[in-house]
Amino acid sequence: MVEMNLNRRQFLKLSGATAATLAVVELGFNEKKAYAKTKEFKIAKATVTPTICCYCGVGCGILVHTKNNTVVYTEGDPDSPINEGKLCSKGTTLRQLYTSEKRLTKPLYRAPGSNKWEEKDWEWMLDTIAKRTKETRDNSFVEVENGVTVNKTEKIASLGGAALDNEETYLLSKLMRGLGITYLEHQARI
Amino acid sequence: MTNHWNDLQHTDCALIIGANPAENHPISFRWLTKAKENGGKIVSVDPRFTRTSSQADVYAALRSGTDIPFVGGMINYAIENNLIHKEYVAKYTNAAFIVKEGYDFKDGLFSGYDEAKRAYDKTKWGIETTEDGKPVKDETLEHPRSVFQLMKKHYSRYDVKTVTTVTGTPEEDYLKVCKTFCETGKVGKAGTILYAMGTTQHTVGSQNVRIYAILQLLLGNIGLPGGGINAMRGESNVQGSTDFGLLFDNLTGYLGAPKASVPEHATLKGYLEKETPKTGYWSNKPKFVVSLLKSWYGANATKDNEFGYQFLPKGNKNYSHMNLFNAMSKGELDGAFLFGTNPIVGGPNAGKEKEALGNLKWMVAIDLWETETSAFWQKEAGSDPSKINTEVFLLPASSSFEKEGSISNSSRWMQYRWKAIDSRGEARPDLDIIHEFALKLKKLYANSPKSADKPFLALDWNYGNGEEPDIDLVAKEINGYDLKTGKLIANFGALLDDGTTSCGNWIYSGFYPEEGKNKSKNRDNKDTGGEHYLNWSYAWPMNRRILYNRASADASGQPWSKEKAVIWWDAAQKKWVGKDVPDFKAVTAPTEPGGTGAFMMNKDGVALLFAPTLNDGPFPEHYEPYESPIPNAFSAQEMNPATVIFEENFNKRGFKVDYPIVATTYRVSEHWQSGTMTRNQEWLSELAGHMFIEMSEELAKEIGIKNKDKVIVSSARGEIKAYAMVTKRYKPFTVRGKKVHQIGMPWHFGFKGFATGDTANRLTPHIGDANTMIPEYKAFLCNVRRAD
Amino acid sequence: MTKYVKYVDVTKCDGCRACMVACKNWNDLPAEPTEFLGSAQSHAKTTADTWNVLQYIEHENGKGNLEYLFRHSSCFHCTDAACEKVCPENAISYTKYGTVVIDQDTCVGCGYCTQNCPFEVISLKEYKDKNGKEYRKAHKCTMCTDRIDEGLQPACVTTCHTGAMEFGDKDAMIQKAEQRVKEIKDRYPNAMVYNPQGVGGTHSVYVLAEKPSVYGLPDNPKVPTSAVLWKDYAQPIGKAMIGATTMAVVGAFVANKIFSKKANGHDEDGGGNHE
Repeated sequence: MVEMNLNRRQFLKLSGATAATLAVVELGFNEKKAYAKTKEFKIAKATVTPTICCYCGVGCGILVHTKNNTVVYTEGDPDSPINEGKLCSKGTTLRQLYTSEKRLTKPLYRAPGSNKWEEKDWEWMLDTIAKRTKETRDNSFVEVENGVTVNKTEKIASLGGAALDNEETYLLSKLMRGLGITYLEHQARI
Repeated sequence: MTNHWNDLQHTDCALIIGANPAENHPISFRWLTKAKENGGKIVSVDPRFTRTSSQADVYAALRSGTDIPFVGGMINYAIENNLIHKEYVAKYTNAAFIVKEGYDFKDGLFSGYDEAKRAYDKTKWGIETTEDGKPVKDETLEHPRSVFQLMKKHYSRYDVKTVTTVTGTPEEDYLKVCKTFCETGKVGKAGTILYAMGTTQHTVGSQNVRIYAILQLLLGNIGLPGGGINAMRGESNVQGSTDFGLLFDNLTGYLGAPKASVPEHATLKGYLEKETPKTGYWSNKPKFVVSLLKSWYGANATKDNEFGYQFLPKGNKNYSHMNLFNAMSKGELDGAFLFGTNPIVGGPNAGKEKEALGNLKWMVAIDLWETETSAFWQKEAGSDPSKINTEVFLLPASSSFEKEGSISNSSRWMQYRWKAIDSRGEARPDLDIIHEFALKLKKLYANSPKSADKPFLALDWNYGNGEEPDIDLVAKEINGYDLKTGKLIANFGALLDDGTTSCGNWIYSGFYPEEGKNKSKNRDNKDTGGEHYLNWSYAWPMNRRILYNRASADASGQPWSKEKAVIWWDAAQKKWVGKDVPDFKAVTAPTEPGGTGAFMMNKDGVALLFAPTLNDGPFPEHYEPYESPIPNAFSAQEMNPATVIFEENFNKRGFKVDYPIVATTYRVSEHWQSGTMTRNQEWLSELAGHMFIEMSEELAKEIGIKNKDKVIVSSARGEIKAYAMVTKRYKPFTVRGKKVHQIGMPWHFGFKGFATGDTANRLTPHIGDANTMIPEYKAFLCNVRRAD
Repeated sequence: MTKYVKYVDVTKCDGCRACMVACKNWNDLPAEPTEFLGSAQSHAKTTADTWNVLQYIEHENGKGNLEYLFRHSSCFHCTDAACEKVCPENAISYTKYGTVVIDQDTCVGCGYCTQNCPFEVISLKEYKDKNGKEYRKAHKCTMCTDRIDEGLQPACVTTCHTGAMEFGDKDAMIQKAEQRVKEIKDRYPNAMVYNPQGVGGTHSVYVLAEKPSVYGLPDNPKVPTSAVLWKDYAQPIGKAMIGATTMAVVGAFVANKIFSKKANGHDEDGGGNHE
């Protein structure tokens, strides 16, 4: 997690017992002592991890509060100079990216002509995709064109990647070009 | 962005055109609101009165597709009224350069046009040079063939009357915009231009951006705090994914991909000679290329095999999105990978793109959700599954906080995201998927003797032994190594072209200069001066926060003004100092050769008012969109003469007689792009749950539609159903004496998720910008009728 | 104890609706189906599951210029709160911060509060217990009193990026509002502070760009006299005489008679379900 790179002050502010620390920041007092509570405070004992919003290009900092293996709250990261703890509607609801019932949780396969998905395991999926890729590449690979070494296949396309991490885009670009793919595009174009 | 989000607070005037940041980049308004509190003005130019307009001091409407007349008129206004920053223009742009005899512009065409090829011979737009190759200059800017005089003449045609009859802007509003923004030409003031896809998604998209840049240069607004030309990126890492080479024509760091169609590219030597300018920073290109090859091919890249250059694929055509789908629709593609992308909602002429997918033998979609694209074969998509033989593999991907890695925002700030929780269900990070897939392929190809398999086998793939790759190894490979010592390289300044250094993406080199110091993880939020936060994350290149900041100082190295000082020459220390990392060689004195070359990436060190590099002309010129309701007032050329036009079958064209209404697409705050991320969430679906069309009260009345009625919108490509949102925020335009209606619609909707609706892009055309092939989503023709 | 005020400057709001979802996120409120309303607005008004709603208003001002106005609308947390006065179970109370909260354990779902709120921000929600028996509870914005207890600001305020919302000491916030109105009079000649005294002032204080009626707000809301009578006179006497539960039934009768009650399909069994 984050411990490596947060300085002491920030770590205190981000970790479990945050409420009291933040309280001083926001209201200048902590009312807790004066007011007995029956219900546990929503984000008490939650683990807090900083992330960057996955939507637009502003790059707002977000804190993800996790507890009991789910995301209980997401809010702006007050330490980020870009958004200073503030967010828009999309950033605020980051939590539901995890909790939505619509999330895909298993690899799905659709056979030619079929009208339904079938659940498959990862191993089968990746093995089969690798086979298809090799087959198409091998059948279409051009080594030389008009006397020039071109080492390419024009039968496979790779699209997308604007939501991937830099490290992922780097490996994707390297792998696809490594395979000789020329139809390499992503959302910057559209 | 040349500048960054926090810097917006320093602007004296923000001209927001082709963008709606209050809705699509909301947190930018935290800083624009601060700018207002500091006395800055906000100008909103948009066909529709948006939430951004509601926050603006000045609002002006323009018909979609008329940015060049609008800004061309501002250029004319600034020159006519002597509001330009003349010294800046003379020193830091090519205004003083003399254009060679033979350059001409007549009735919408520049010299060198070949009608059959729809292309220009750009050698006809040359600059006069001295014997030693230096440009001939006239710093008085009086020479009739100086760039300045030619530009002045070109835009003298863009007078207020002509402009406003074309854009449909009320003259009074237009003059208010000119006056308010051109004030920033004064020393001590800075204006910024903020734009997004409303600018780029046109057949003249690149020239739209160019004309903004020209205006900013004339006003001396580039390189200054609160200035610049700022593209607001729509995706969290579309900056990074472009930097890292996910477009067909660029390897990482904007190194051009080698082409089979360029004879010189047959060898590394030829490629480097052809593509490396003699002067300017790009003269270092061979170091970046060879270091990249060393990162990709490791020990298999040697001096003897051109460092593995021949392993790289060489294409012979334009492989961009629309061409890709054109090829797919002709059955030329067998397989496709889709990483978190949904083209049958987000692509142009989306109905055609959906049909094309059925021609694939196999398709792999990696996503958090079942998207419309991965479900294109289903009945819901209007398909007959029994007739579609595409095998579809749908792999569940982790969300952004279920893994770790860095992304780069619009400001080029590379920020790290830590893992907050294990992935949902069996979802896996894309990094793991790509890695394991690569390993499986490596295994399949292992020991193959075939020469065709050599390039892939030569690809260096060493990211640890586990199924999960070691992301730290990837990060370090990107930064690069000194291969002699095995140590991380300090930054790209240390790269060499002899194979002794490696670097996966030279523009990022320096973010990880030594073990344990990945600067994208920097979280020190103390203001280091000028609100640049130099110790928060890492901005490429070299942690510079304002690009071209050398131009914030005059030729002698002193700031033009105290208010807008960024860096300056410190004669005692003999280096550039200030609040930001100099975007300049830190020890080059103003008096030394190149000491005033504020735009050091360009070969002559100056910014280009006259750009002989673009496909559609050295100066931006107005052409009507592919589909327009009105003839071009500026010339006999109706549309961009250099735009590629696809065959009729792939792209039906609509005309005014059937489709008299101008249409554009846009986004709403609550949804993101093709909507897959947000329409699959309940709270956001609740806030914006319905597909709608916005139209003026006047248009609604003419066609007998009331607010909330269901309507059908049609274009030459298709029809969609939606709710009518009748609003005062759209008004009909008066264009060349005629009334022209415009409507607008969000492009987020599709048939999956909680919030569903018809897909706007079934209406949009397969036509694109002459330089980038970005589709013209933002101006096309349609018709509207009641649904029942 | 310091009283707190949520300051809302609608002229700085850019309509992003982060406040709406921050509220749902903090309070774990479910989404509800919404109809297309002919504008960007998602809900006509607050509901039991949507405690604040952003209003979108297109308004042509006196000069004929178009203004696109936004208002974060939710509970005002009145100093003299009609809801508190009419609640037969004393389920609604003032906290020491000045916020007005509904105790869910005590609420019987009678609906008087919903009928008597001058701002119509309280709503009933139906539930079923494990035996299938239906019951109802009244819901509204709590001003995130649980967060205030921990020294945090309400979730909507914390997320607001333009500074349209602030949270702080009552006097300071009111002063700020008055100052702000002076600053914006040029652009918004009808600008005003909305802190209605008919309800003793509120703990959500607004800087409005236009007259209250433009936002559908009452010019001068008041605690209904009948509510005052009920709370201050009838209810204490009644409770003393016949006990709280029965009093709620009586209360239903009284409410139906003396409060100009709106037609509402659920009102038939008004106070009868509380057992």
